[in-house]
Amino acid sequence: MSAARVAMAQPPLTLDVAGVAKSYGATIALQRVTFDLRRGEVHALLGENGAGKSTLVKILSGIVRPDSGSVRLAGQPFEPHSLLAARAAGVSTAFQELSLLPNLSVATNLTLPRQRKGPVGLGSRRLNEAKAAELLAECDATDIDPGALVADLSLAEKQRVEIVRAVSQRPRLLILDEPTAALAEPEWLFRIVERLAATGVGVLYISHRLAEVRRLCLRGTVLRNGESIATVDLADAQDTDIFRMMVGRGAEEATQRTRGTQQRAAEAPALMLKDLRGAGVEGVSLDLHRGEIVGVAALEGQGQRDLFRILGGAAPAESGVIAVQAKPVRFADPRHALHAGIGFVPEERKTEGIFLGMTTASNISLPILGRLLRLGLIDGRRERAEVREAARGVDLPDRYIGMRISALSGGNQQKALIARVLLSGARILVLFDPTRGVDVGTKEVIYGVIRQFATGGGSVLLYSTELSELVQLAHRCLVMYRGRIVGEATGEGLTEQRLVSLASGHGRAA
Amino acid sequence: MSGQDRRAGGRRGISGDVWNALALFGLTALLILGSRWISPGFGGWSQAKAILVLSSFVVVVAFGQQLVILTGGLDLSIASVMTMGGVLAFTFIGASSPALLWGVPGVLLLTAAIGALNGIGVVWLRVPPFIMTLAMGIIVYGATLGLTGGTPRGQPSPLLSALFTADLAGVPLVIYLISVLAVLGTLLQRGTGFGRRLYAVGTNPAAAHIAGLPVRRITMMTYVISGASAGLAGVLMVGYAGGATLTMGQSYQLPSIAAVVVGGTSILGGSGLYLGAVGGALLLTTFSTVIASIGIAEGWRTVIYGIVILLALLLLREELYVWVGRLAARPGGIPPRSTPSTAMTGGNK
Repeated sequence: MSAARVAMAQPPLTLDVAGVAKSYGATIALQRVTFDLRRGEVHALLGENGAGKSTLVKILSGIVRPDSGSVRLAGQPFEPHSLLAARAAGVSTAFQELSLLPNLSVATNLTLPRQRKGPVGLGSRRLNEAKAAELLAECDATDIDPGALVADLSLAEKQRVEIVRAVSQRPRLLILDEPTAALAEPEWLFRIVERLAATGVGVLYISHRLAEVRRLCLRGTVLRNGESIATVDLADAQDTDIFRMMVGRGAEEATQRTRGTQQRAAEAPALMLKDLRGAGVEGVSLDLHRGEIVGVAALEGQGQRDLFRILGGAAPAESGVIAVQAKPVRFADPRHALHAGIGFVPEERKTEGIFLGMTTASNISLPILGRLLRLGLIDGRRERAEVREAARGVDLPDRYIGMRISALSGGNQQKALIARVLLSGARILVLFDPTRGVDVGTKEVIYGVIRQFATGGGSVLLYSTELSELVQLAHRCLVMYRGRIVGEATGEGLTEQRLVSLASGHGRAA
Repeated sequence: MSGQDRRAGGRRGISGDVWNALALFGLTALLILGSRWISPGFGGWSQAKAILVLSSFVVVVAFGQQLVILTGGLDLSIASVMTMGGVLAFTFIGASSPALLWGVPGVLLLTAAIGALNGIGVVWLRVPPFIMTLAMGIIVYGATLGLTGGTPRGQPSPLLSALFTADLAGVPLVIYLISVLAVLGTLLQRGTGFGRRLYAVGTNPAAAHIAGLPVRRITMMTYVISGASAGLAGVLMVGYAGGATLTMGQSYQLPSIAAVVVGGTSILGGSGLYLGAVGGALLLTTFSTVIASIGIAEGWRTVIYGIVILLALLLLREELYVWVGRLAARPGGIPPRSTPSTAMTGGNK
């Protein structure tokens, strides 16, 4: 396909992936993925969240098996049925979700499953630590103590141990999944990658960071919606071209939306954050005004989840200011956030949102039980009336109200959850991916509810994994990267491409 | 997951739980009638009365136990707390009727305070419920032993005894008492804000926390109520037996849990009705009375009783397995910080 392929005397292919597809039930994770990786090549895999990168990594690592398509490793069919089989065939992976055992030492993690045995046949701590020290030294990571517990290491150190372990398997193909996400000094990794490539090892390098990718890789394959869109010579491709391939064509068509001009300066913001810090949040400042919908865009794991949990009172803030209507508040509990008028819709509907064993009505009326009491008992008639009205607000049919909420579809459960949050009297909604896993019809309903809430003078902070949703709904959109807000897109500048480029750490340049 | 879905499919709302309870009442009646086969002296109203009276202690103690189980916990201290309640009533109230006025509330307050200590251990110190309450049971038993020097000394209270001996329209007073308790207890669960929030906490503590419910206060309250209800059962036993012993509560630990579980309460928490637990208490008491009447010696009788309770519990085996896993992972009703995706550090510090 690419020009370089025509060149003569090319080295044999280390990896040849052809037409690989994988579905989980009705969800198609990979439609058709085709690319190849040469001996000694560092090949980039690019794509948005949900493009299918992690499924591909799982297939190559032997964790899941593809439904169709073929994979060849160094010319041989490669169909590993387990992680160990893949490793034995010469593929080792440093996972983004680190796969170390935190309660064991660095040495044990590095030497499992082949522990060095002492004279009596038992695992010898001394021999293992010596072996581990040797492996660490090979990768120039001598600052890590082989005897230390993995749980006691910093995230960056854990990531390095994960990489050292993958390298120590002497693979023919090394897969690095977002290896620099937690690394303070990526140069360390680059040296390892370059050394391995020089010895003929193929490296599949998955990263959101184009700058890194350009530094290490000559070619890259772009994945979108489970399909390999193209394999490009990176030297010939502009960043914007690559972003366009990642996002897809339709993204440029501006969605018609009404961005009400805000009367900003006139009044105090409904919610103001100043240098807010907490686990995963490294100093976030923002203003959210009355009637405003502010979107938050970010790649996975950039602290957005932590930020929203802090605002919902579900995680502690370490420092900084949260002010509601110019009044500083502190949340030690979600209850305090509710009292301050913040309604939080969490990420996991089933585990943190709804009460599966209870009826829809009991789920919705929970925040107003106090005012439904008559002579100490819940007034059933008033409860039904209030719940019915709240359900109407989110377009939830009456017949569901008396049913157990577990009998409802995911979309209707989400409507009920939003009805409950609205019923709590919140004036600020903090919504973390409120349309996750719901059908298209429900999405439209939820968009309508959000817009109406804002029109009525409420304020909404919205995170979504679907950028199109943010572009469509938000008046402006903030982009988070590594726990900070690194950019803002407003008005005509609020496009998916701009969000992707900001979210990948490209700052204001793109 | 599957446990929750199954539960949702199996019983729907209030009516399902009520039917469940009625089925237990029916089964009890059948068992009483059927005992005519053993002896013509059985199976009549007088035997039914005797069984109702006997079951009153389990009915009372199961109230608190059920609330604790609804939050996904367990109270293993009730046997000792019952004994302490009985011994205190026997020692300090004695034969004086006016002393009942301050004595009974005093005993209830003290046993509620023991329950509060259980609650503090479970909720704030995050000790698994069964370890916390088991240890508390040993401590309370030890304290009772120490206070009495091995032999409780006191006098029976005529007024307390009257609960069992006097009757109104042919029905012993204590039966009115447990009937009122059954109604009030069911109302507390289904009619009040506390009850509704309790179910929410039991069904999904993580969601309850996010929804702003006072998860810890509610969990704590269930242990307080459990302590007090065990205390009340102890006081009633003094009226029934006319005295107190250091082992009086001992045989009530397992029945208190069995009545709740047989009564249709999920041991995982979140679903069940007090009326069902009352039915469970009646059925178990009837059963033990019937096997006693067959003439099996005391020791073997207890063996059979224990086996039957165990079988009843094993019928919910799948749930039990999940529950054991959950109990180990979730000491205080607030979920652990197991994985980053469910970690909740808020308010735990």
